[in-house]
Amino acid sequence: MTTVALDTPKATSTPKALRKDLRYPSWFYLPAGTIYFILFLVPTVASLYFSLTRWTLFNSTFIGLENFQQFFREPFLFQSLINTVIFAVITSGAKVVLGLLLAVLLTSNIALRGFLRSVVFFPVLVSVIGVGITFTVLMHPTQGLINTSLEAIGIDGPGWLTDPRLALFSVALVDIWRGVGLATVIYMAGIVSIPQDYYEASRIDGARPIQQFFLITVPLVRPAMVTVIILSFIGGLRLFDLVWAMTRGGPGFASDVMASVIYKQYQAGFYGLSTAGNVVLFMLIACLAVPLAIFLNRREVNQ
Amino acid sequence: MNLIKRYWLTALASIVALVVFVTPFIFIILMAVKDRQQAALRDMSWPINFQLVENFLAVVQARDYMLITAYINSTILTVGSVTILVIVASMVGFVLQRHPTKWTPVVEFFVMAGLMIPPAVVPTIWLLQGIGLFKTLHGMILIEVAYNMSFAVILYRQFVATIPREMDEAAIIDGAKPLDVFFRVVFPMMWPVTVTNIVVQSVGIFNDFVNPLYYLPGRGNETVQLTLYSFQSQFNTQYNLLFMDILLVTIPPLLVFLFFNRQIVAGLSAGAIKG
Amino acid sequence: MAGLNLKNLYKSFGAVEVIKGVDLDIDHGEFVVFVGPSGCGKSTLLRMIAGLENITEGELFIGETLCNNVEPRDRGIAMVFQSYALYPHMTVYDNIGFGLKLARAPKEERDRKVREAARMLQLEPLLDRKPGQLSGGQRQRVAIGRAIVRQPEVFLFDEPLSNLDAALRVSMRQELTKLHHDLDATMIYVTHDQVEAMTMADKIVVLNGGVVQQVGAPIDLYQDPANLFVAGFIGSPKMNFIEVTAKTVGKGEVLVQSDVIGEISVPLNSDRVKTGDKLTLGIRPHALSRSDDGPFSGQVELVERLGNETVVNFTLSNGSAWMAVLDGDEPLKLGSEVRFSADVGAICLFDAAERRIR
Ligand SMILES: Nc1ncnc2c1ncn2[C@@H]1O[C@H](COP(=O)(O)OP(=O)(O)O)[C@@H](O)[C@H]1O
Ligand SMILES: [Mg+2]
Repeated sequence: MTTVALDTPKATSTPKALRKDLRYPSWFYLPAGTIYFILFLVPTVASLYFSLTRWTLFNSTFIGLENFQQFFREPFLFQSLINTVIFAVITSGAKVVLGLLLAVLLTSNIALRGFLRSVVFFPVLVSVIGVGITFTVLMHPTQGLINTSLEAIGIDGPGWLTDPRLALFSVALVDIWRGVGLATVIYMAGIVSIPQDYYEASRIDGARPIQQFFLITVPLVRPAMVTVIILSFIGGLRLFDLVWAMTRGGPGFASDVMASVIYKQYQAGFYGLSTAGNVVLFMLIACLAVPLAIFLNRREVNQ
Repeated sequence: MNLIKRYWLTALASIVALVVFVTPFIFIILMAVKDRQQAALRDMSWPINFQLVENFLAVVQARDYMLITAYINSTILTVGSVTILVIVASMVGFVLQRHPTKWTPVVEFFVMAGLMIPPAVVPTIWLLQGIGLFKTLHGMILIEVAYNMSFAVILYRQFVATIPREMDEAAIIDGAKPLDVFFRVVFPMMWPVTVTNIVVQSVGIFNDFVNPLYYLPGRGNETVQLTLYSFQSQFNTQYNLLFMDILLVTIPPLLVFLFFNRQIVAGLSAGAIKG
Repeated sequence: MAGLNLKNLYKSFGAVEVIKGVDLDIDHGEFVVFVGPSGCGKSTLLRMIAGLENITEGELFIGETLCNNVEPRDRGIAMVFQSYALYPHMTVYDNIGFGLKLARAPKEERDRKVREAARMLQLEPLLDRKPGQLSGGQRQRVAIGRAIVRQPEVFLFDEPLSNLDAALRVSMRQELTKLHHDLDATMIYVTHDQVEAMTMADKIVVLNGGVVQQVGAPIDLYQDPANLFVAGFIGSPKMNFIEVTAKTVGKGEVLVQSDVIGEISVPLNSDRVKTGDKLTLGIRPHALSRSDDGPFSGQVELVERLGNETVVNFTLSNGSAWMAVLDGDEPLKLGSEVRFSADVGAICLFDAAERRIR
C-alpha cells in the first residue's frame, strides 16, 4: 500500500506540456486519415461483402462464392486473369532490363545526353489515353505507319492489334515504351550514387566495361532494381487505361485484363461480379506482389 | 578496335532510342496540323495545307466547347486535390517521422496498402452516392486525395527525417505551439519536397483517366482525358482533329516537364537508393 | 532574479537511466558550466531544465517556481543549440524576432528589441540576410541574439562553440563571458571541453555517467579534486596515475610502494588507510621536475620544446604513459632514461573507491 501511495505522485507528474504526443499531436493524422478511411478503406472492406452478392446498388442478395466461381469457370473471365499475369511479367521484366541498359547508356558520356534523357522520360508524363490512341493509329494493320514502313523494306507486318494472339503483346510493347523512362530515371539515381572509385579501382585491376557492368553496376543498383521490379509489377497488374484506349480488351477477349473486365462488368450492371473482380485483383497483388516485395527486401537486408 | 566498336555501339543505341521515342511525337504534331484528307493517310508526310489554327478552333468548338469545360474541370480537380493533398499529407509525414508510437507500424501498413491495393470501384460509387458526392467535382477531388495520399506521405516523411529535431525544439523554446511549430517552421522548410509533390501529383491527377471515368460521368463533367476518349469515337474519320486534341492534352505536362524536370525526377526516383 | 534548484533529478529513457539523482543549486547571475565526457548526460540535464525532456523524478525550481510541469516558453529560459537551429526560411531579423512575434509583442517593441540585440552582437548590417548567407560565427551570433530578445532569466547553451574553428572559438568564448557580464543573467553552458569550462565558468559541474562528481570553482576543482575522475578530467595535460599499495601506515604519514616507483612516504591522516590497501597515486605533469634520484623514472617517448616550457612524454617500466611539463628548455634525447621527482605536497592519493584521500 505504502509503495503505491509513494508512486502515485510520480505517475501524475509527467508534464502535460512536454509529452511528445502533445508536441507532435496525433490529430495531425485526422484529416488525412478521415479521407483515406471513408473513401478508400470503407469501400475496400465493403467490397469483401459485396463480392459475395448479386447487387444492384440499391439491394444486394447474398449468393456466397458464386461470383468467384463464375470468374474461374467462364473462360473469358479466367483468360483475363492469365492475361493480367502475363502482361505484368512481360512489361516489368522488359522495364527492368531495358531500363537498366538505357540508364547505363544515359549516364555514360554520350552526345546529346541531356536531350536523350528527356526524350526517354517524357512519355511517362504524357496522357496514357493519348499514347494509346497514337499507337492504335500507328499499329493499324494496313494504314499504320509501322506496317507501311515494314512493307517498304519488304516485311509483311502482322495485325498488331487485330490478331488475337498478338494484341496483348502489342499493348504490352506500348506500355514498355511509355513506362521504361520511369525505370530509367530510378536506375539513374541508383547509378549516380555509386562512387566513381569502384570503377577506377576496377579499371586499374584490369576489368573491362562489360565486367564492370556485371560486377559493379548490377550489384550496386540492386535497391533501385527492387524498386523498379515492384513498381512496374504492381503497375502491370493494375493497368487499365492503355488496354482500354487501344483494344477495349479485344479482339474478342484476347487482350482483356482484370481491370478491363471489372469495368466491363460494371458497365453491364453486374456490380457483384465486378466487385468480385476487384477482390480477385486484390488477391492477385497480395499473393504475387507482396511476397515478391518481401522476398526482394529480405535478400537485401541479408547482404 | 575495341574503342571504335564501343563508339559505334553507343552511337547506334542512341540513334535507336531517339527514333523510337521521338517518332511518335513528331507523328502527333504532323497529324495535328494536316488537313482532313491528308491526315486520313496516317503517314509521316509533310503537311500540304498547314491547318494549325483551323484544327485548333475546330477541336475547341467541338461538342459545344467541351474541351474548354474539360480544361476548367481538370484544372479545378488538379489544383483542388493537390492543395488538400499537400496540407494533409505533410502533416501525416511530419508526425509519423517525429513521434513513433506503437501505432506507427499500423499507419505504415495503411500507407503501403494505399500504394498496392486497387481501389474497389463499385463500392466506392455506392458510397459516393450515399453521401451525395457521386458525379461531383468535390467527390472526385477527395477521391484523388485518398488515392494519392500514400505516395505523398512517403515523400514528406522521407524529407522530414532530414530536418533536424533541434529546429522544432528551437521553435518550442521560442514559444511555438504545435501548430506554429509545424506551419511556421517545419512546413516552410519542406518547400523543396512540396514542390516535388505538387509537380508529380499534378501530372498524375491531370492525366488520370480511370477514376474520372468511374466517378465523374455525365455531360459537363468531362475532364481533359475523357475528351480524348469521347473524341476517339467521334473523330473516327478526322484524324487531324483527334491528334490536335492529343497535342493540346500533352502541352500542360510538357510545360511542367520543361520547368520542373529536376523535381519530377527527384520525386519519382525517391527511395530508389534506399529501396 | 532567478537561481535554479535541482532536487534529486532522475531521467530514464525507457529502462535506461541517464540522469541518476542530480542535486544542484545555482545562484542568480552565475555562469555555470556542465562538463563531462561525451554521453555522460550533460545535454539531457540541460534539456530537462529547458523543458525539452520531461523529468522522470525529482524537482526542478527556477526562481521560486516548481517547473516540472511548466511549458518551456513559460520557464523564463532561452537556449542556444549546437547546430544553432536557425530558421532557414526567415531573415536574421525574423529569426531573432520570431519568439516575440509568437508572444504577440507589439510591432514597435519587437522592432526595438530586435535592433537592440542586433546592435549588441554587431548584426545590424546582416538583418536582411538569410542564415544560409552567413558564416559560422555570424550564425552563432544570430542564435545568441534570438536568445537575448527573450530577456530570459536563464540562458542555456549546448556546446555552442563546437562547430567553430579554433580561433573563432577563442574569441566567441571571450564574447560570451562579456555578454554574461553585461546581461547579468544566469547562464548554464554545456561542453565536453574542459578548457572552455576552466576559462568561462564561475562554477563547474563535473558530470560522469549521469552523476555529479563535483561542483566548484574552476581553481578549486583543479587544486582540490574530489575523486579520481575529476582529477583526471580537469587540467591539461592530464594528471599522471599509478597504482600503489599502502605498505606501512604511520602516524601522520603513509608509506606507499610499487615495483615501478619504489617507496614514497606521503603525509596523510592515517585512519583512512590500512596497511595493504590498494591506492592510486596521482601527480600533475606540472608538478614533476628533473632530479637524478627522483622516484619517477621512464624512457623518453616524445619531447615538445616550446621554448618557455618543455612537454615530455615518457613511459614507466610498467608501460604507463606519463607526461611532465618542465620549465624552460630541456633538450632531452628520445629513448633516453629520465628521472623526475615531485614535491610530496603535490601528490594526490585515491582509495579503492576512487575517492581522494589527500
Ligand atoms: N532520446 C533519447 N532516447 C534514448 N537515449 C537517449 C536519448 N537522448 C540521450 N540518450 C542517451 O542518454 C545518454 C546521455 O546523452 P546526452 O545527454 O546527449 O550526453 P552528452 O553528455 O554527450 O550531451 C547517452 O547515452 C544517450 O545515448
Ligand atoms: Mg550533448
